[in-house]
Amino acid sequence: MFKMLNPRRFYHAVGRRKFLEFVLLAVFVLFFYGPLLNMLMLAFANEYNVPHVLPEQWGIEWWGYVFGQESLVSSMIQSFIVAIATTIISMVFCIPAAYSIARFKYRGRKIFMLSFLLTNAFPKLGIYTSIAVLFYKYGLMGTYPGVIIIHMINSMMFMVWLPSNAFRNVHRQQEEAARDVGAGPIRTFFKVTFPMAMPGIAVATLYTFLGSMEEAQGTMLVGLARIQTMPVAMYGIVLDSSAVQIGAVFAILLIIPSAVMIILMRKFIGPEAIAGGFKMK
Amino acid sequence: MSKNLKKNLMAYVMVLPAFLVVILTVAYPIVTAVIQSFQNSETGDFTLANYTYFFTDKAQRNNLMYTLYIVAVTVVTAIAVAYLLALYLRFIKSRISKTIGMLYLLPRFVPSMCAVYAMITIIRDSGLINRIGQLLGVDINMGMMYHASGIITMNLWFNIPFAAMMIAAGLSGIPDSIIEAASDVGAGKLRIFWNMILPLSLKDVVVAATFVFMSNVSSFTTPYLMGGNAPKMLGISLYDQFNRYMDYNRSAALSVIMFLICSVSAAVYIYSNLKENDWEK
Repeated sequence: MFKMLNPRRFYHAVGRRKFLEFVLLAVFVLFFYGPLLNMLMLAFANEYNVPHVLPEQWGIEWWGYVFGQESLVSSMIQSFIVAIATTIISMVFCIPAAYSIARFKYRGRKIFMLSFLLTNAFPKLGIYTSIAVLFYKYGLMGTYPGVIIIHMINSMMFMVWLPSNAFRNVHRQQEEAARDVGAGPIRTFFKVTFPMAMPGIAVATLYTFLGSMEEAQGTMLVGLARIQTMPVAMYGIVLDSSAVQIGAVFAILLIIPSAVMIILMRKFIGPEAIAGGFKMK
Repeated sequence: MSKNLKKNLMAYVMVLPAFLVVILTVAYPIVTAVIQSFQNSETGDFTLANYTYFFTDKAQRNNLMYTLYIVAVTVVTAIAVAYLLALYLRFIKSRISKTIGMLYLLPRFVPSMCAVYAMITIIRDSGLINRIGQLLGVDINMGMMYHASGIITMNLWFNIPFAAMMIAAGLSGIPDSIIEAASDVGAGKLRIFWNMILPLSLKDVVVAATFVFMSNVSSFTTPYLMGGNAPKMLGISLYDQFNRYMDYNRSAALSVIMFLICSVSAAVYIYSNLKENDWEK
């Protein structure tokens, strides 16, 4: 077994192509997962001084520290409130719009779709700053509705493009078949169209939720320190804290919702479903 | 006729709420920002000074060049590597390619600041690479923190999986049968790639490149946590104009400049999308 660790022997044992594939896998995992794994390790390091590669002492000391900070705990609660509200509200607004765009042909459809591209082309901060002026006027600064509106801006493109792509892939004949056997339009939608478009909708929901969980710039600007979500708190930690472990613990906490969502929705996540959110059809 | 009208009316009713949200939270702020960018901050008179400042001031010009440099390197490298990765995932069927095909979907869902933080724990002066170097008796100083190379590395981390996914989604639409047919009549691998695979996947490359380009022009998190003080990327410069100098007119002008840079790639994107629609008819 151990002689396989010699690259030369390994090369001759598995052949050139297999060898190159292993090298590719190694480089890929090191680059994309190495940093995350290193951070995971740091989160469980009580003592970690230069020049040690592995922690001198393992433990969960810093987890206790993070959960002992009241402001950090409240930031987690606020993050969840904002993310859940953003997801639900943007679904209510965007799913009907997506269906309408997928199923009907009318004037202005293209322009409407293009307007979402605007949110990606114009610098977000430029949009936030102009909105902040409006928000001051209507007393939305430092409130939940204000922050939720900001988060919605980020997710609207996915919430319309992805489900609309998914709806378009549901064959009209299937809807018509349901109508023929007597189902009403609403029942048809919820029993036939919606389940079939589920992968696209699921990925869009995932994006919206996670996008809201990680939004920091706009929240910093509009939340006015009254609404401090986890990412906002994280900026402070990264830039201020002396101990690298605090940031690591907090980053892991921030990743956990993503991990849970991905596991729940794993069967929907694939290149085709995700790519649909970036193509205007 | 009346049935058509009713149908159209329903389509508009469904699309209208989302459309109003876009008007209020995207179009309106952008219009006010454009107006503001032409106004003198004190008198409100028409002026071009806000724009000329960013092209005449030496530090600002450096910021612009620095940003364009980082974006150009990121887009070219990310797309090239992603294309090779996507080709590998599409045409080589092995256990390793399946593993990578699963692993490369996940970085997309890691909150950006967590990923940046994780990378910092690797490349900073007392980071993992330096520690491993010390173990082996060499003093490795990457010098990547507060330097363009650090930002580019991070951009690649974010964008290679994304671009590969977009291109892979396109490549999976190319049926095996036409490739086999071409090879049956004697076309070589290179010729099949050049004459069939490349043209068929070009549109997805454009889509991927557009979004990589746009997200990097106004990127904030990576340069905020990793970048140096001078030169800065435009996203940071914009944040400074707004937050530190409170110069709303200049920050509006910079937003418009960044938007114009992005719209070059947005135009290519729209052009390639419209072209496809003609062809589909």
